[in-house]
Amino acid sequence: MKNKKHIIIFFCVVLIIIIIGVIAGKITRPKSYGEHGNYRYNAVEELQNQKIINQDIITCSECHKEIYQLHEKDAHYNVPCVDCHGPGDLHTQYHQGGEGSGNISKEQAAMQKEYKFEGCLYCHRKLKAKPFDFPQVDKNEHYKFLNVTNPETKCIECHSPHEPVFLLTDARQARLHPVVYKCTDCHEQKPEKSHRDVPGHPSIFECRDCHSQVVKDFNDRSHHNYVDCRTCHLYHRENETTGRIYKNGNAKFCLLCHEKKPFKDEKYPPKIEWSTHIGNPDIVSKGDAKICLNCHVDKIHKMDLLVKADPHPENWKSIHRETARQNLSVCMNCHTMNQCYSCHMKNKPASHNFNWRKQHSKIAAGNKSSCEICHRKDGCFSCHKTEMPHPKDWQEKHKDFISKNGKTICNNCHKEEFCKQCH
Amino acid sequence: MEKMERRQFIKLGIFSTAGVLIGSFFAFADNEKKLEVKSYNDLLNYDWGYIVDTSRCIGCGACVRACKMENNVPDNYFRTWVERYEINKDEKIRVDSPKGAIESFKENNFPASEIVKAFFVPKLCNHCYDSPCVQVCPVGASYHSPDKVVLIDKEHCVGCGYCVQACPYSCRYINQEKGTADKCTFCYHRIHKGLAPACVNACPRNARLYGNLKDPESKIRKVLNQRKYGLLKAELGTNPKCYYLELDMEIK
Repeated sequence: MKNKKHIIIFFCVVLIIIIIGVIAGKITRPKSYGEHGNYRYNAVEELQNQKIINQDIITCSECHKEIYQLHEKDAHYNVPCVDCHGPGDLHTQYHQGGEGSGNISKEQAAMQKEYKFEGCLYCHRKLKAKPFDFPQVDKNEHYKFLNVTNPETKCIECHSPHEPVFLLTDARQARLHPVVYKCTDCHEQKPEKSHRDVPGHPSIFECRDCHSQVVKDFNDRSHHNYVDCRTCHLYHRENETTGRIYKNGNAKFCLLCHEKKPFKDEKYPPKIEWSTHIGNPDIVSKGDAKICLNCHVDKIHKMDLLVKADPHPENWKSIHRETARQNLSVCMNCHTMNQCYSCHMKNKPASHNFNWRKQHSKIAAGNKSSCEICHRKDGCFSCHKTEMPHPKDWQEKHKDFISKNGKTICNNCHKEEFCKQCH
Repeated sequence: MEKMERRQFIKLGIFSTAGVLIGSFFAFADNEKKLEVKSYNDLLNYDWGYIVDTSRCIGCGACVRACKMENNVPDNYFRTWVERYEINKDEKIRVDSPKGAIESFKENNFPASEIVKAFFVPKLCNHCYDSPCVQVCPVGASYHSPDKVVLIDKEHCVGCGYCVQACPYSCRYINQEKGTADKCTFCYHRIHKGLAPACVNACPRNARLYGNLKDPESKIRKVLNQRKYGLLKAELGTNPKCYYLELDMEIK
């Protein structure tokens, strides 16, 4: 026994250390640690109570309704308020009242208002890395195009940030439109040759391909020397094949170029002073956004041409074969290949299945025009050897018909017992 | 007299301890009322995911600025940042992110005519399912929340910096003011109140999207079903859940 005493003492010491360890662990272990895994669950709840700084657009719209509606309508509808005006936590707290709002001074609660020139360029500076459909501005080019003489001019002198391009209708309502290219979308500078004269150039879709009359009319008028279609009909590409045409023609949009401003060149383009130009204020009927067009429509193009018309020439049926062979991709901007197949099938169309013999009479009785796309030459006659449905005097005629063609042709549709009903 | 004094002393002692106990009980009760949070079982219904559409980003840096404001991120550190990739005719690649793009980008790095391909890539914490940063934490301060967000318990972080080194996407940093590690939280305080994270809220081009991956009707699931996407450094097996649409081969 005496020899084993030191072993017992050793185990006792180890046991005491373990007990102390467990107790110390329980005391020092933070509350809620290990409840749902190896972490302190309360930390999750603490994090959820962090203060919200950036306000969303819905919070802003609760008070600033008018500016919100204006902003929703125009091209900046996707830009949230915080991007230009700052986070706005103090602003909302100050104006909503409640806890701690007394400690905020009026200066602290004020939002950032006038945005610097640099601020607009955060998004709109011309860079190669930006998607090319995004509106980008090279300051020098832009000022040269508009003949702005003072290089210090800020963007907001002409463009209102809430309504940057003065759209006539809601930006979200803009129509989907097949993609329209400009030479400068791909080329650095406008090439001298038309893409049609360059052999092997990929075929692209131009405005005049469909709206030939409008473009022809526009080219006869003064504007065409300075601007092209997409200068006014702002175009926004969405993917490889489609985009949206923004509707414009708003008076304020015309004034972007034609209003007299101290920083602009005086002579070109012709400028007006809005207040003196409209001598008789009665002309301005309230809410008439298209007021410039009331008088100056002849400078642009005839408006009645804008009515949607069939873009193809009259003899399209006979010539479309050549066009499609050369430039199928242009066709594909509006049509799908399925539309070709619906006429140009080598085999029978899918609808002509085993049931077709029974069904086709109903479809043909309704409208034969779809049959005539393929069965053009003699229509029903090629199978039925007579007009279909049977002519009115068939009861008298059918004797001659059977003696000529035999009975078998009747059996295609009628059973043999059918004759016995009368005979 | 002596006896009376002792009795008084004991009485005083009993009443004062009782007073402190009752007082502390009320104090604790008040503390618990302040927290308005989702319960553990509610959190299990969520699995937050994130989508970055690299084809839509214009590199304006609005997300970087919003994140700085929202989370009080110290200067020169970023929870989210935007990188620019430029490839020229000779297949030279230049990647840059001046100040995390907080003031956007100024000029092309190559002459404009020489650039054949260029794009922006926003980056942020990938909130991996098998995150190496959580595995290396020696004090259990880095953890996966019940809704699969990688978070830091700042009260218990000792600032050893193991996790900063472990993260293959360099999304963590040491906050010098507090002496703890810090990282993107998906704006945990916003998403459970129905608000978008600050960067998603600030994006003017809808290049960023977040949502609940467990909800089959959510927008994020629909986008993932319709479009092709890639993951960053998928070969490391970290299982990230930041999905990059139109991911280019060069993006690392």
